[in-house]
Amino acid sequence: MPLESNARIAKALAERGYNAEREAITLLAGAADPAAAVAAAVDHAPDEALRITADHVREATVDTERSAASPAETGQSPVETKGSTDHGVGGTETASAAATADGETAAAAESPDSTAPDASATADPETTDSLAANPERSRDSEPPRNPDLRDLEVGNDMTGHSTGTGEYSDFVTTFRDRYERLSKILRGRVNHRPAEAIANMPGGSDAAMIGLVNDVRSTKSGHWLVELEDTTGTFPALVMKDKGLADVVDEILLDECLAVEGTLADDAGILFADSLHFPDVPRTHRPGGADRHVQAALISDVHVGSDEFMADAWHSFTDWLHTSEANPVEYLLLAGDMVEGVGVYPDQDEELEIVDIYEQYEAFAELLKEVPADTEIVMIPGNHDAVRLAEPQPGFNDEIRSIMDVHDAQIVSNPATVSVEGVEVLMYHGVSLDEVIAELPEEKASYDEPHKAMYQLLKKRHVAPQFGGHTRVAPEERDYLVMEDVPDVFHTGHVHKLGWGKYHNVLAVNSGCWQAQTDFQKSVNIDPDAGYAPILDLDTLDMTVRKFS
Amino acid sequence: MRPDDERYFARIEERLDEAWDVAETAKEQGRDPEPKIEIPVARDMADRVENILGIDGVAERVRDLEGEMSREEAALELVTDFVDGNVGDYDSREGKIEGAVRTAVALLTEGVVAAPIEGIDRVELLENDDGTEFVNVYYAGPIRSAGGTAQALSVLVADYARSLLDVDEYKPRDVEVERYAEEIALYDKETGLQYTPKDKESKFIAKHIPVMLDGEATSDEEVSGFRDLERVDTNSARGGMCLVAAEGIALKAPKIQRYTRDLEEVDWPWLQDLIDGTIGKDGAGDGDAAGDGSDSEADDEGSDDAESDAEANEAAGDGSTEDEAAGPLRADSSQKFLRDLIAGRPVFTHPSEAGGFRLRYGRARNHGFATGGVHPATMHIVDDFLAAGTQIKTERPGKAHGVVPVDSIEGPTVRLANGEVRRIDDPEEAKEIRNGIEKVLDLGEYLVNYGEFVENNHPLAPASYAPEWWVQEFEAAGADVRALRDDPHVDLEHPAVDEALAWAREYDCPLHPEYTYLWHDISVDAFEALADAVAAGDVVEGVLAVERTEPVRDALESLLIEHAATPDALRIPTWRPLARSLGIDDGLRKGWHADDLSAAARGYADGENAVRAVNEVAPFEVRERAPTRIGNRMGRPEKSESRDLSPAVHTLFPINEAGGPQRDVAEAANVMDDTGHRGRHELQVSDRVCPDCGEHTYAALCPDCETHTEPHYECNDCGTVCEPDEAGRVECPNCEWEVTAASYQEVDVNDAYRSALETVGERESAFEILKGVQGLTSRNKTPEPIEKGVLRAKNGVTSFKDGTVRYDMTDLPVTAVRPEELDVTADHFRELGYETDIDDEPLRHDDQVVELRVQDIVLSDGAAEHMLKTADFVDDLLEQFYGLDRFYEVNERDDLVGELVFGMAPHTSAATVGRVIGFTSAAVGYAHPYFHAAKRRNCDGDEDCVMLLMDGLLNFSKEFLPDQRGGRMDAPLVMSSRIDPSEIDDEAHNVDIVREYPLELYEASRELADPEEVEELIQIGEDTLGTDDEYHGFDHTHDTTDIAMGPDLSAYKTLGDMMEKMDAQLELARKLRAVDETDVAERVIEYHFLPDIIGNLRAFSRQETRCLDCGEKYRRMPLTGECRECGGRVNLTVHEGSVSKYVDTAIEVAERFDCRPYTKQRLKVLDQSLESIFEDDTNKQSGIADFM
Repeated sequence: MPLESNARIAKALAERGYNAEREAITLLAGAADPAAAVAAAVDHAPDEALRITADHVREATVDTERSAASPAETGQSPVETKGSTDHGVGGTETASAAATADGETAAAAESPDSTAPDASATADPETTDSLAANPERSRDSEPPRNPDLRDLEVGNDMTGHSTGTGEYSDFVTTFRDRYERLSKILRGRVNHRPAEAIANMPGGSDAAMIGLVNDVRSTKSGHWLVELEDTTGTFPALVMKDKGLADVVDEILLDECLAVEGTLADDAGILFADSLHFPDVPRTHRPGGADRHVQAALISDVHVGSDEFMADAWHSFTDWLHTSEANPVEYLLLAGDMVEGVGVYPDQDEELEIVDIYEQYEAFAELLKEVPADTEIVMIPGNHDAVRLAEPQPGFNDEIRSIMDVHDAQIVSNPATVSVEGVEVLMYHGVSLDEVIAELPEEKASYDEPHKAMYQLLKKRHVAPQFGGHTRVAPEERDYLVMEDVPDVFHTGHVHKLGWGKYHNVLAVNSGCWQAQTDFQKSVNIDPDAGYAPILDLDTLDMTVRKFS
Repeated sequence: MRPDDERYFARIEERLDEAWDVAETAKEQGRDPEPKIEIPVARDMADRVENILGIDGVAERVRDLEGEMSREEAALELVTDFVDGNVGDYDSREGKIEGAVRTAVALLTEGVVAAPIEGIDRVELLENDDGTEFVNVYYAGPIRSAGGTAQALSVLVADYARSLLDVDEYKPRDVEVERYAEEIALYDKETGLQYTPKDKESKFIAKHIPVMLDGEATSDEEVSGFRDLERVDTNSARGGMCLVAAEGIALKAPKIQRYTRDLEEVDWPWLQDLIDGTIGKDGAGDGDAAGDGSDSEADDEGSDDAESDAEANEAAGDGSTEDEAAGPLRADSSQKFLRDLIAGRPVFTHPSEAGGFRLRYGRARNHGFATGGVHPATMHIVDDFLAAGTQIKTERPGKAHGVVPVDSIEGPTVRLANGEVRRIDDPEEAKEIRNGIEKVLDLGEYLVNYGEFVENNHPLAPASYAPEWWVQEFEAAGADVRALRDDPHVDLEHPAVDEALAWAREYDCPLHPEYTYLWHDISVDAFEALADAVAAGDVVEGVLAVERTEPVRDALESLLIEHAATPDALRIPTWRPLARSLGIDDGLRKGWHADDLSAAARGYADGENAVRAVNEVAPFEVRERAPTRIGNRMGRPEKSESRDLSPAVHTLFPINEAGGPQRDVAEAANVMDDTGHRGRHELQVSDRVCPDCGEHTYAALCPDCETHTEPHYECNDCGTVCEPDEAGRVECPNCEWEVTAASYQEVDVNDAYRSALETVGERESAFEILKGVQGLTSRNKTPEPIEKGVLRAKNGVTSFKDGTVRYDMTDLPVTAVRPEELDVTADHFRELGYETDIDDEPLRHDDQVVELRVQDIVLSDGAAEHMLKTADFVDDLLEQFYGLDRFYEVNERDDLVGELVFGMAPHTSAATVGRVIGFTSAAVGYAHPYFHAAKRRNCDGDEDCVMLLMDGLLNFSKEFLPDQRGGRMDAPLVMSSRIDPSEIDDEAHNVDIVREYPLELYEASRELADPEEVEELIQIGEDTLGTDDEYHGFDHTHDTTDIAMGPDLSAYKTLGDMMEKMDAQLELARKLRAVDETDVAERVIEYHFLPDIIGNLRAFSRQETRCLDCGEKYRRMPLTGECRECGGRVNLTVHEGSVSKYVDTAIEVAERFDCRPYTKQRLKVLDQSLESIFEDDTNKQSGIADFM
């Protein structure tokens, strides 16, 4: 087996049951005969060792070189290492959408620029050469990865706590919980009166109500009728077309939580709306940050098993993770669709390279082994994965977990929040984005700018508000889809388009995919952004996108 | 036309006139919406076209043109007339184009289908981006019924009219072009197209088509890519447009090109590319594909016919030039018919699988026109799943067939539990032994007529060796066949062994099919083993006993040799032909050695076909017995039942919700309102006015002066009273919108009901319940007199939406009948004008075979009973409502013989007059193929209805028809009193009408020749068109004892729920040798269980809820938990039960039938999803680990 890249060496070691230090891998890759070097290193490692260190490798190398030194071959090693960088590693993607939502998200536009200098550094062949030729130097330039500094916590995970039994009352509980938690956010802003109470108020009084949107429709004369519902009943609000609220009405989705303020009609049968309020992210939101330079890679939609899975791009990515440049990348967040799945659409088997679902996860686990072993990994399922489609989706069952037990990855539910060294990341696969994009006008949400659709979800503080349409809901004792706390980063996938930007200081990232354009996507005019890895600085919340395809 | 035919039609028209006079008298009383009969009689197609379109002058012009040119050319010629204003009264350019397009479609569909009025909504002129104008044709779903050619030609006509009127071409925007491609693909996915153009093709058409194709949204599914386009006002798929583009333009390009060539004004050079099939083929990037390889590629990807055609020719070429060792020519097998397999509808034969239906050529008297002949014994052997009229989806030559019972072909061969292998040619025997059947080794023969291959343009498939083929070879070999036929001791069809062997020896003629076994189904090795076994056997008392071993037994079963089994021997009674074929003489001496077989024989079809080996060792020639197996599966079950609206309706009188769920008029009449009055309801009914006294009423007859009232059109907005224009449209001159006569009025239903009872002199006890409708759907909301409903209820019939009483039956063809099998006598037949049988012998006996006349039909038992009730209803109506004499006076069903009915198919708007001549116990409507074709039906499982003539004349009114798309479909807007064979669907012209097929057909079939090659030798219906013989001389090659043999109803209809049906289906799959039960199970899971589970699971997680108390629906669960309207209990509409009902069964079936891991895994993932949703994680049983 040729072991020309770091990732493969890591994988080879993983297969033998070892973790490895980054430096050890670099050393092995630079060896004259990496395969032999790996074998030797493993031989030299003490029996109780779980981790191959640089020292083990050096001891082993000395032995090997003593026995079979070949100057000619040694000379070639830098070339091999360089070969892996030729895939385009380090190329920084700047072309993609970094548009700003409302002027105050300049940070998003800055982010690509701020990291550009770093990128050029790795592209420099000299760096690569010296890296391989002089391991000492490379160790100096890299701060050590110290697992003790890490801090990772998962919240809102409902795996193993799905208590719903599909009864009517479960649904009611879910929606009540949604109403209660979201209305709480709005209570400070308006003086909510229950629908029942408003109905008994005299005509002409001022009133405000917080409710879930029951219905939105335009009237014959061009106004809009928004019906809100709270736990006492429903009440209609009329939004006049000349109130300047058209833009807001356009954004309303059914079943989201909304506050309306206005005046009751003379017959008290309807509320004339003066203003509408979304729960929204406060403009004052101050995101947290790591107190050291550490990064997280945010990816999704790997689709292993599909004919279109881009193995080469993935290998380039994992190779890069083994470079010194990627040293700070200590976290990998995966927002669903690890595999292509089975039976996701009719006749899918004809487009599967791996038809067996378990083999798909096994292949995925193999690919995951290429990731440096000391990387912290968090995964949530997506709509192609072997879990229920209805949201929230619990993390995988034990059978599939046991296949993916590489690197001790955390497998949690979709959605889930991950607190990484002080940065709150909301991970959600993103099925509702399709609906948001379909329902809202193009300038507010489109496939080309998926992050704008994510802004809408942030505004509604709910990852999938609309019931009864595209999104499927599994009733639980609480509505796990509510964003009770404002995240610092909102990470989704699903639409296979890359896009990021900041909304009220929250970084929204849709992370592209690792699957080339499928026939279906071709037929509906979707050109996926495949082979990109957004890399997030956890201390500054700046982001760089790297291209590996 | 012969005088005899003249007399026949005169008889029918006489009876029609008689009925017409009575109905006219009744109608003139003004008790109906119109004081006249509303189904005009059309003499010919031109009349029908004019009547359906309602454009004056069309008929005359069509008749002028008809003699001179084809119908297509006439349609184009009429364009000039419309443009010049000679025909039609149109001022605007779009109006002229619209008129021309509609007329063209009407002409090409013989004025029968509703497509010209319902399928084309309008034509409009829109603006191109460069400011020029273009034509937009707005199609609707019902254009489907026009068929591809008429659809395509409608575009051409629009373009021609456009060019004559100097309107520019349509210049599509790029997004529109893309939209067409996406939309057509979407429509194909949702609804399915006969032909799916590739995206490139769709775009190519969109780019080049000179008029814009547009249309109504027909489904809820929306395109996801090219949305919200300025000139396309929907994001949903426009079904009409998709049909015209795909099944019209793309599929029928060659046909349109024929006409564009003749027109100077229109030029569609791009059609050539479509015809060449180069669009969408060279796009893959390999440029060399356009070179030499392009031809074969084009064929591969083309339609099925083209595919098999090309490959067949290829194969034929190989066979003749190169070594023949490759194997015999065979038609390619095709999986297509297995698609969308439905649970409970079994597969009978997997594609071209041994043991399945064997293709035999011939046409039985109840056969042809998209039907397949099956032996009645086979129908019973397949657990009664097949009955006369059951539809089956077939591998070839067409897509589907209606099944007809034919007992002059070979029946099935089965192995019984005791090991005996037996062929069964008697349906009674089949019923007796079917419980003891272990395996169905062979399903018997499947009769397909030559015309089917012509109609489907399908290359002939190798024929089974049958007596009718053998006898011609025998005669050609010099035998005096005539003498043998006359010899009472000789049976040429089933000769004795000695005779057959002698003939083969003496005349050097192939062995008789009776003793020709299926050697092509066993390998050369098996053949040698069998020969050794037979040579080693013993003959005891004339029966050969061979050692019982698995290979020998398999060989005998594959060859279909009857035998009995003992624990250690297989006993073969008829063994001499077998022995001879194996090269063994009567002394069981094998006359050859293994070395004697040539390499060619050994290597023939890779050693899998022993027919060459047989011919090398046998003393005579042995032909391939059954080279073609036709795969098929069950489609729809047959149908014979009355057409009831749901819920059933006795009278088209509205009663709102007051009648309860039953729509009980009596209940509505009894409801008391706030003021204490009974039966007063605010109803939307028509506002009519009495021309004499000016009284307003909803009734057709003025309550005061008994004058016929007229609809009163008053504009809702401005109050202007309007008059209808010539086309019947009413528009307010001020407000410029359509005005209807419908209005809300307080109606005293109680009074209406009571006085109706009084008028007809009936009491409430005369019927169980009188059902009305909730509301009327017609434009003017004209109600029917309740009296009619009272009499319908009394006689146990219900009304269709147009006021008629209908009975549905599956169509089957029959060209000759025996009075006996129709439960009538030769006397009846003579009274109807039948004088001779098919051999010109005078008609004396009930069992003589008589050629059927084109408009004579056979009713199913159910239909006859229903028609009797209808006749009673009509008589009561005449007597008690109109005060006239009874017309039918029927006592028993024989009285119906000779009475006239209307035949009428869905999606059409013209009824055809038929005459009842008898009855059948089969649940189908047997009639002449031309009668079905006149209604534009074929017999591949289609069904349509019959109405009693007088019922239609008296009770049908256009006023009742729903005011919505498709409302005028399925309504008798016009009737054809006599069938002109030239003016029917030309599919029926491809029915062959000979008594014997020539030897050349059988020979040609072995070469997979085109059916055209023997066209000259076999007369088909087309050949007699326009001659004196066009109405008679429909001969058949095969007789059948009774056209109603086999089960009366398919098991599909008699079995209980879906599970029971599916169990029976899988059980049958296990039993049939030609069926792969695993594949069946896979498909049932794939096409039935999985979509059901997935669909219900999806529905569950986005469902509506409903109040159990008041029925109020909620899109989302109310936060209050209870009903906001009534405070009642709200509950889900999709429960766990409906989601998970099939999961366990599906998993069990997957296990039991060893399905693929892919399928099992899909089920497992779904099962876990269900568990995840419907089970409480914290409530699960803990594992033992929890306690350790």
